[in-house]
Amino acid sequence: MAFISAHKVSVDIPIFDAVYASIRKFLLDKAVGGQLGQQGSHVVVHALKDVSFEAHDGDRIGLVGQNGAGKTTLLRVLSGTYPPSAGTVDVQGRVSPMLTTTLGMDADATGFENIRICGMLRGLTARQVDESIDDIIAFTELGDYLRMPVRSYSSGMLLRLAFAVATVPHADILLIDESIGVGDEHFFQKAYARLNALVSRSRILVVASHSQPMIRKLCNRALWLDGGVIVAYDEVDRVLNAYSRRDPALLATAPGETRRTTAPASD
Amino acid sequence: MEPGGRRSVTIAQTGLATFPPHDAFGRDLYDGIRGWRLWTMLGWNDIRRRYRRSILGPFWMTISMGLLVVALGSLYAHIFNIAIASYLPYLTLGFIVWGFISTSIKECCQAFGSQSDMIKQIRVPFSIYVLRVIWANLIVLMHTIIIIVPIWFYFRHGPDRAALMAIPGLVVISLNLVWVGIVFAVLNTRFRDVSQMVETALQITVFATPIMWPVSALGERRYVADINPMYHLIELVRAPLLGTLPSTLSWVVALGAAVAGLLLAMVLLRRVERRIVYWL
Repeated sequence: MAFISAHKVSVDIPIFDAVYASIRKFLLDKAVGGQLGQQGSHVVVHALKDVSFEAHDGDRIGLVGQNGAGKTTLLRVLSGTYPPSAGTVDVQGRVSPMLTTTLGMDADATGFENIRICGMLRGLTARQVDESIDDIIAFTELGDYLRMPVRSYSSGMLLRLAFAVATVPHADILLIDESIGVGDEHFFQKAYARLNALVSRSRILVVASHSQPMIRKLCNRALWLDGGVIVAYDEVDRVLNAYSRRDPALLATAPGETRRTTAPASD
Repeated sequence: MEPGGRRSVTIAQTGLATFPPHDAFGRDLYDGIRGWRLWTMLGWNDIRRRYRRSILGPFWMTISMGLLVVALGSLYAHIFNIAIASYLPYLTLGFIVWGFISTSIKECCQAFGSQSDMIKQIRVPFSIYVLRVIWANLIVLMHTIIIIVPIWFYFRHGPDRAALMAIPGLVVISLNLVWVGIVFAVLNTRFRDVSQMVETALQITVFATPIMWPVSALGERRYVADINPMYHLIELVRAPLLGTLPSTLSWVVALGAAVAGLLLAMVLLRRVERRIVYWL
């Protein structure tokens, strides 16, 4: 069983080398998401504020929001690497993060060697890696390239390798950041099938992306973050319809309807 | 700093193993040691990566160390007016053990910083990053120490039973490196000046410690060596391989430092474990 529960999670990231006045000006000019504050002598970025949500078996959650909205931070909290500065996170199940395609990869090692390194980093034993190897070879379709150092790979090939290792059957909760976007259409079809199989074994997927068609296809729920705050967490079409017009008021309408309501946004 | 209620994070299972709440005392080190399959694999890979596409590979370390000690040894034996048959093995072993200690400490300063991508993405015990560095340097040590064998043969003065004590000696050195490595890895992640300070201190230590000169050269000022913990650490491996046993003082200092230091490292890790990732 896989389960995620976040209760009033906040993450403040200290920035030690920032000159407060100038970075605030810089970031405000850029109008990116996270809000800044000051703690003692250094700047802090309030990357997440009072984020609460739950996910259960079979949930495929798409994270949407503009740059700096807190999507990656939330994924890092779920992966256990960012301890929240306030609130509680409860994650049940073996987490397999794929926030970058190069996690633990050694550019000079061969594909096969990297499968072992990345698999073991994700908590697989050497034997489990060996058991999964045929499945990984088949999925990547890299053939003899697996005997070459991965620095000779294109970014799409690297993605196939990373994705195949991240989605071995031992994972319960899969966390994916933007990176999945560099794949071609053929990869995407295969990835979709593989993720569906994963989720059908009652697991959880959380994927952050700016590609709405991809989220619509992969996910059944969407979580809209803005400035580190959850705007909406609901059925995927409903959230994306509102998100694509940046209008929380649309959340109250059923998907497909155009009628606008004045009711306050709620999830 | 943080009120008690804010600390209740339960990540049931991430990559490596089952994790309790982050701040259980000594838990990071305990989980890290249990994850030995991971850090031994990563350490081996670090060595392999360094010498990929090189024909002699890691044996370059052996060759360069061999040339260094033969060149320096024959010169300094003359300067210090010592028989080369006793000076050369002394210098060789001292240099190799020193190299193990100093390179481990230097690399541990970057143990977290150089792996920030991984630390921000996958939760494994922090001690694993330090153990990986020390393991890689142990492999280097095993490659370089074999040059003592031809030196033994050349001077027809082989090891005796005392040499076996070098093994527990090496274990105690490594235990000390674990805590020193954790402390400097943490400090250097937060305060980037630490690695520069460490490097400067190590540069002075190599000359201030009996490595290139015999301890007898101190004469009445022998206390200069006795108050130097680095001297005691080196003695744990060097003395047995030269056919004598390290003094009780050396054992007491090294073991005492290991116990106290490991406790210090566990206290430190528990305090800062939740913040390290935000310092990267």
